[in-house]
Amino acid sequence: MAAPGRHVGHYIQRNGRFLLCNIEQVLGHRSFGWTPAVRQQAAEVNQELPESIVIPKKKTWSKEAVLEALSSTVGRDPTACPYMFQDDPFLTPRTSTEFRMFALSQESGRDAAKFFINSNPKFFTKDFAEPHIPCLMPKTVSLVLEEVSEEALKERINLRKVSAAVDMYDQLLQAGTAVSMETTHGLLDLICFYCDKDPAEEEEPQREDTDSDEPKPKGRIHRASDFIKLTWKENNNAERIFNLLPERDTRCYSALIRGMVKYRAPAKAYSMYTDMLNNRVTGDVHIFNTLISSVVHLRVNYEARWELVTELLYQMNQQKIRPNILTFNSVLQTLRRCGPIGKSLSLQTVSEMKALGIAPSLATYEHILCLFHKPVAQKQYGADILQEIVSELEGTSLTCQDPNDVLFFATAMRVCVDTKELELGYKVHSLTEFGENYKLQGVPYQRSTYYGRFFNLLCMMEHVDAVLKWYRRLIPSLFYPNVQGMMDLLQCLDTDNRLDLLPDIWKDIKTVGHENKSEVVEEVLQLMAREKHSPEVQESFATCALDVKNEFEVKRLLQWSNLSLSNVTIVLLRANKTQMAWEMLELFKSYNRVPSKEVLDAFLTVCHSDGTPQKAVELVQAAAALCLLQTPTLATRTLAEFDLTEEQRAILTELEAAGEPSD
Amino acid sequence: MAASLSSAGTVRVLSTLARSSLLCSSSGSRGLHVTAACCKNRAARTRVGKGEKPLTYEQAFHPHHIGHCKGWLSQHTSNLKGEEGAAERTMEDVFIRKFMFGTFHGSLANEIVLKRRGNMLIVCALMIQKMSPLKFYFLIGYTETLLSHFYKCPVKLEVQTLQDKAVYKYI
Repeated sequence: MAAPGRHVGHYIQRNGRFLLCNIEQVLGHRSFGWTPAVRQQAAEVNQELPESIVIPKKKTWSKEAVLEALSSTVGRDPTACPYMFQDDPFLTPRTSTEFRMFALSQESGRDAAKFFINSNPKFFTKDFAEPHIPCLMPKTVSLVLEEVSEEALKERINLRKVSAAVDMYDQLLQAGTAVSMETTHGLLDLICFYCDKDPAEEEEPQREDTDSDEPKPKGRIHRASDFIKLTWKENNNAERIFNLLPERDTRCYSALIRGMVKYRAPAKAYSMYTDMLNNRVTGDVHIFNTLISSVVHLRVNYEARWELVTELLYQMNQQKIRPNILTFNSVLQTLRRCGPIGKSLSLQTVSEMKALGIAPSLATYEHILCLFHKPVAQKQYGADILQEIVSELEGTSLTCQDPNDVLFFATAMRVCVDTKELELGYKVHSLTEFGENYKLQGVPYQRSTYYGRFFNLLCMMEHVDAVLKWYRRLIPSLFYPNVQGMMDLLQCLDTDNRLDLLPDIWKDIKTVGHENKSEVVEEVLQLMAREKHSPEVQESFATCALDVKNEFEVKRLLQWSNLSLSNVTIVLLRANKTQMAWEMLELFKSYNRVPSKEVLDAFLTVCHSDGTPQKAVELVQAAAALCLLQTPTLATRTLAEFDLTEEQRAILTELEAAGEPSD
Repeated sequence: MAASLSSAGTVRVLSTLARSSLLCSSSGSRGLHVTAACCKNRAARTRVGKGEKPLTYEQAFHPHHIGHCKGWLSQHTSNLKGEEGAAERTMEDVFIRKFMFGTFHGSLANEIVLKRRGNMLIVCALMIQKMSPLKFYFLIGYTETLLSHFYKCPVKLEVQTLQDKAVYKYI
C-alpha cells in the first residue's frame, strides 16, 4: 500500500487544485482529511433534507484561532477529576465523602505495601537504580543493636521508640556510663514530644464522622493525636530524667516546657520557667513562644493576660533573645482572647513587628481579621482592613511560615461574605490562583469551607449567568457543594427568573448526592410548581417531577409530604400528563396525605377542558372520601361548570349538602 | 486465560535458554531442564469451538497480526539497535503481568499494556467493575508502591473500568 501511495502523492502535488475540486465533490461527506478549515463546506447537510439544502457560509478562522485553541488547554481543566484519582467515571468521586474515602483507601493501600516492604526487606534490597534512590529502599523499623551503649540509645531515638529509649538510658545510668549531652537532649525531646508514650502506628487517620455532608463546627479537630487525650502526668519519665541530670541547660528546659504546654500542663510549664530563671539559665525563642501561647490558660482576666504577655516579652528582651514571626503570631492569638483591649493592642503589635523587620505572615493577617470581624455580624469596620491586606499581598508568592497560615483564606472569604463585598471576594480568589498560593488553602475541609463561602457570596451578589459560569468552573472539580450551597443556587435561579434550568440542576443535585435531603427536594418541587411556564419548560418540568417521584417511590429515600405530593401533581397537570396525575391521586390516599386546594382546582380545570364530567364527579367523591373541607365548594363548581346526567347531579347535590353541616 | 497464555510463552523462553546454557556450559555442571514446548502454530491462538466461546479483540487475532490489526502489549526501547536490557525488561513484564493478575484477581478484562517512558513504568489495565471503588483504590495504592519499591522506578497505574468484558466475537 505504501508504494502506490507515493505515486498518488506526486500526482496530487502536480495537479493540486484541479484534483481537489473534483475530489471534494466525490468525497462529499468525508470532508475532513486534507482540506484545511478555511475551505470547510458543511457537506453533511446534503444527506438529511432533500427539500431545502442550506449551505452555510464559509467558515473563516482568525489568525490567532490556533493559538486560542491551544491556550484553552493550558491551566486547570474544570472537567477533570482530581489528579490523585484514576481518570474513569466509575472511579471518580462525586461527593465529598467519596473524595475522602477514596483518598483514604488509596493511602491505606500504600501503607499496607510499606508494611510488607519493611517487614521483608530482603526482597527489596537489590539496588539497580543509577543514581541510588533512597526513598525506594526498605526502611529499617526493627532494632538492630541490642547491647547497652550510647549507639543503641541513639538508634532507639531515631526510630522513635520512646519506652525502649528510656529503658536503655536507665540501663546506661546504672552501668555508670556517661551519656553525652547531645544524646540526652535528643532523648528529652523525644519523651516530651510524645508525652512519654510510644507513638501509635498510623491508626485510622480519621476515626471520626461518617455523617459527612453537614459542615463541621468550626473548632473541630481532625487528627488522631487530638482524640487520644494525652495529658502530662506528674513525675513522668521526662521529669525524672530531668531531675537526675547533673546540669540542665537551655535545651533541656526548652524540651520540658514545650512538652508541658503541648500536653495541657501550662501551670507546671510556668513554674518550670520560673525555676529556670532562678537558676539563671537563659531561655530561647521557642520557650517564650509556647509560654505566650499558653497565657490564655494561665490567667482568666483580660488585663492580667496582657500583663503576663508584656512581662514575658520584657524578660525576653532582657535575655537578649530575638523574637521571630511565631512570637508575634502567638501574641496576636492571645490578644484574640483578651476582650476589647485586643483591637488596639494588635495594631501596636503589628507595628512593633514591622519595626523589627519581620514580615507578617498569613497567620498574622488572619488573627487581625478575626479580631476586627467577629463572626457576630458587626460591621463597623467595613472591609477596609481586608482591602489593605489584599492589596499588599497582591501578586506575591506566599509561603507557609506558621501552621495557622492555612486559616487565612477561609477567614478572608467569611469577611467578604459578611460585608457583602463581591469585588474583594474576586481579589481574594485571584490571590489563591496566583502561582502556588493554592497550596495555602489547607486541608480539603478548609478548602471546601473557603469555596463554600465564595460560592455563597457569588449567589448572593452576582447575576445568574456569572453564577452559572463559576458553578461550572468550581463544581465538581474544586469542591462539592453542601445543602446550603444548593439552596443558594436555587434561590439565585429564582431571583433571576431562570427556572427553566431547574431540570439540569436537579441532575446535578443527584450527582452530588443531595437527592436524599428533603429540604433540597421540597425547594425544587416548590419552585417548579409555583407558576405556569411555557410548554417546553413545562414538559421538562414534568420529566423532572417524574424523576423526583421515582426518588420517593422506587428508591424510598424520602417520605412524601402534603406539599411535595401536591406540587408534583400540579406540575404533571400543567404539562397535560393527566393520566399520571390521576395516579398521583391514588398515592394521596395510600400515604394519607391531603391534597391542597390548588390541586383540586387544577384537576377540575383539566377535566373541564378535557370534557370528562364523570371524572369530575369521581374527583368530588374522592375529595369527600378524604373528608376535605373543600368538598362542598368543589361540588358547587362541578354542578355549575359541567353538564351532568341526573344521577351525577344527585350525587353532587348530596355531597354539597352533606358538606355544609359538618363545618 | 491470561495466565495460561503468558506461562506458555515463558515456558518457551525457558526451554530455549535451557538448551543454550547446555551448549555453552564448560564448568562441568551439566543440568538438563526439559520443559513443555509450545509450537508456533499453537501460541496465542484460541481453538475454534461451537460458537459459544467469547473472545476479546486481543484474543481474536493471532500473533502474525501484530503490527497490522493488533498493537504491542509491552512498549520499551531495548529492542532497538544498540540498546541493552531486552531480556531484563521481558522478565519484569512477566512478573508484573502475573502480579497484576493475582492482585486484581478476576477483575482484569484484558491483557495488561506496559509502557516505559524515561524512568517511569506505566501499567495500563482494563478492569471489570467487580469491586467497589474503595477496594480498587486500596489495591491501586498497594500495587503502585510495591512495584515502585521492587523495581526502583516510579510505577503508575492507569485503570479504566468496564461493566463486562468487551467481546469481539464468539468462536
